[in-house]
Amino acid sequence: MPSLLLFMCILVPIIAGVLCYLVRIGFARTLTVLVTGAVLTAGSLMLLGHGTFTYVPPSPWAGLVNTAITLADFALLAIMFGIARKHRSKLIMTLVVLQAVPLLFFELFMVDHGAPAPGFYGDNLSLIITLLVSIVGSLICVFALPYMQKHEAHLHLKRSRQPQFFFLLLIFLGAMNGLALSNNIAWLYFFFEVTTFCSFMLIGHDGTPIAVKNALRALWMNSLGGVAFVFGMIGAHHIAGTTDIQQIIASGPMGGALLVPLALLCLAGFTKSAQVPFQSWLLGAMVAPTPVSALLHSSTMVKAGVYVIFRFAPTFAGTFFSQGLAIVGSFTFLVTIALALGQRNGKKILAYSTISNLGLIIACAGINTPTALAAGILLIIFHAISKALLFLCVGTIEQEIGSRDIEDMRGLFAVKPRIAVITVIGIMTMLLPPFGVLISKWMAIEAASNNLPAVGMIAMGSALGFVVWGRWAGILMSASYKKGLKPEPMSAFVNGPLSVLAGGAVLFSLVLPWIYSLLVKPMLAFAPYQVHFGSLDSSIGGFTVIPIFLILAAGFVYALKQAQKTRARHVAPMYMSGVHSGGPDDETFRGPMNKIVQIETGNYYLTRLFGEERLTFWVNNVAVALLVLMMGGAL
Amino acid sequence: MIKDTLLVLFALAGAPLLGGFMAGIDRRITARLQARFGPPIMQPFYDVAKLFGKQMIVPNSWQVFCAYVYLVGAVLSVVLFFLQSDLLLIFFVQAVGAVFLVLGGMAVPSPYAQVGAQRELIQVLTYEPLLILVFVTIYSVTGSFKISAIYAHEAPLLKELPLIFIVLTYALTIKLRKSPFDFSTSHHGHQEIVKGVLTEHSGPILGLIEVGHWYETVLILGLCALFWATSPVGMIILITATYFAELIVDNAMARMTWRWMLGYVWSVGLAMSVINIIWLYAK
Repeated sequence: MPSLLLFMCILVPIIAGVLCYLVRIGFARTLTVLVTGAVLTAGSLMLLGHGTFTYVPPSPWAGLVNTAITLADFALLAIMFGIARKHRSKLIMTLVVLQAVPLLFFELFMVDHGAPAPGFYGDNLSLIITLLVSIVGSLICVFALPYMQKHEAHLHLKRSRQPQFFFLLLIFLGAMNGLALSNNIAWLYFFFEVTTFCSFMLIGHDGTPIAVKNALRALWMNSLGGVAFVFGMIGAHHIAGTTDIQQIIASGPMGGALLVPLALLCLAGFTKSAQVPFQSWLLGAMVAPTPVSALLHSSTMVKAGVYVIFRFAPTFAGTFFSQGLAIVGSFTFLVTIALALGQRNGKKILAYSTISNLGLIIACAGINTPTALAAGILLIIFHAISKALLFLCVGTIEQEIGSRDIEDMRGLFAVKPRIAVITVIGIMTMLLPPFGVLISKWMAIEAASNNLPAVGMIAMGSALGFVVWGRWAGILMSASYKKGLKPEPMSAFVNGPLSVLAGGAVLFSLVLPWIYSLLVKPMLAFAPYQVHFGSLDSSIGGFTVIPIFLILAAGFVYALKQAQKTRARHVAPMYMSGVHSGGPDDETFRGPMNKIVQIETGNYYLTRLFGEERLTFWVNNVAVALLVLMMGGAL
Repeated sequence: MIKDTLLVLFALAGAPLLGGFMAGIDRRITARLQARFGPPIMQPFYDVAKLFGKQMIVPNSWQVFCAYVYLVGAVLSVVLFFLQSDLLLIFFVQAVGAVFLVLGGMAVPSPYAQVGAQRELIQVLTYEPLLILVFVTIYSVTGSFKISAIYAHEAPLLKELPLIFIVLTYALTIKLRKSPFDFSTSHHGHQEIVKGVLTEHSGPILGLIEVGHWYETVLILGLCALFWATSPVGMIILITATYFAELIVDNAMARMTWRWMLGYVWSVGLAMSVINIIWLYAK
């Protein structure tokens, strides 16, 4: 059974990707993507139903798969070297060589190819990642179908580049599932590299000079992570004597020497999750078409980094390194949301907020108590859903109004009510109770409360987040009353993914107590919270999830009913010191010399405090210092 | 169960009465401090009754929605407070109200409401981390975030966390929008009638927000009372003294800028929290 499901989750998207590349017909591509999405969804759900498993392919296959992956590994490195040479990037060439040579040594002289190779392993952590990749990822791919058509119409391309685009997108889904389900650290490395490669190709997809530049930056930073991974892998193998990840973890707590390779693996996770000081590649990645940002850079690929850290977290529990991780993570959480505050580019705000939330997830891994780990895993789930939704919203808005500046979204509700409301829902699910992201954050604060520096930074970061999200939601609704406003039409492939994600973000929050007890609790050493009557409860604190959800939902519905009673006769023009010049929805006043002046308002961006130019330098320096301290703690 | 039901009922019905009554005393004492006679104590109730009698006039129907949700957030947080639940949970639920107050202000493009809403965001930004730190330090004393654990604690928190109490009063002043931190509710070139984030709210909508504010006042004074949870008399003394000090400060101070507020409150608040925690560990 697992063999079929693994085939569905890993190989089907790869085959479908190749199909998209070869068959250059729009209809066939649409069909392929839809079918792949269905297969992935079914496969990942059945895999979850199947539960924890270990699977090693039967005897001739195991060796073949291993050889194929090893060869593909070197082929991929060769391609990357070629790319680096084409772009004359000595840095990337060096980083690729630094991966290839040790890897060759590792494969030739260290790994015992006679011993049975470890295969696949799925526990709740990897199954959750697989679910997110398969379902959220598929929704994003579906969304990409109409999006890329419009995108290319806008660019006036002679020859469509969509085959290549969907090829990479689908391969990426397969690689992510492979990454989550591999129990062989060498395979994990391979899939890690595939995601780096896909990310590079997709960021540079539009081929503009800025896209190429940013793609190369993503490549070198992630290759640095690749180098750290190779050395971490070799070190782990040297000490534990196996490439089996479960055995490495099992041998962990005994040998403090394992800490150095683990720290290197975590460093690789840091680059992939774009933690400070590696955040710039993710921000640069925002030049890519929005589905790329949604898929790779918010909901799934950056989760590969935190996945690796969570995978090895039990091994370094209680060490100085773990404490360092908590500090570095909460530092990232604070400073990147502060950077988001200084931004008015919607995609950049989302990018910074993503890095920030990943920082919080990593801080949870560093605190490393069952409560913290539960908070981190819940945050992985809920952040993926809400952030994918928000990226798709920004993409939709950008195609509608031609801008991703949030100031240009002022009063969007009066023009495009449907997408405005969906975006506000997305923002609420990031910010407020009773939604999953907030509940995870609550859990994270309670878990961090014995660590004063961490909890202080998390407290400040969460307050900054309040401003970032609050003003954005406010801007979307900032409009005068319009009579008879109707939702704008939307293509099914846009509306479908948006509605499913928005509904998912809301409804999954309602069933959070069960997600916790069925998926998260079995992973933990002991259960930090008891679930009864839909509430999470412990001696330290409690969150009455269901009652609060229901009361707030009732309040929302009642408030909505009251708001809908508003009629045109209730509407007055806004207050403008008595110099208002027109009708109710007219935003002008009589200025000096009786001239009609259009009012202009803007948000606070506090760029003198939180501007990128001002903060980034210091942030990067402090982050490097903290990283050195953390890695030093491992030595 | 019966006790819980009674507590919920008290929270629902008693809190606005208490909050309105506090507002009445507030206006009276403020008037006396300014050598005026001042309105009757019941004046806030008359005002709200009158507001509810008015016809609803709004520039944007989204404001109606926001005002109701603000009220729901405020009421629910007070109910949770009386049920002695998790402090952080209460805090996050009141944040629902806080964010919708801002959204209601931002719903209208009018410059006054917009500026008021932006400033209200800065107010929230200033007090939020302080409140979280206050709760975390309470946790480090009682070993739990639940209010019930504070009642179970033998000594008053004030004894162990005097500086944290001061930090809480900063948050209280900002939350009540009193000087020197009242800049989100006042901005106008010529007169003070225009109330920042509330500029575009009128009639029943303003009434709802007023009632919501009473609930919030009760919540934040209740949080202060927790610092002397061992004795009911102590609680009353603490609330009265705090609120009176609040009024003196309000009348003695001028309004400041957000830059000053953010810098001053964060640095003083953080410093006091850290010093208090060091004391705690030194003991």
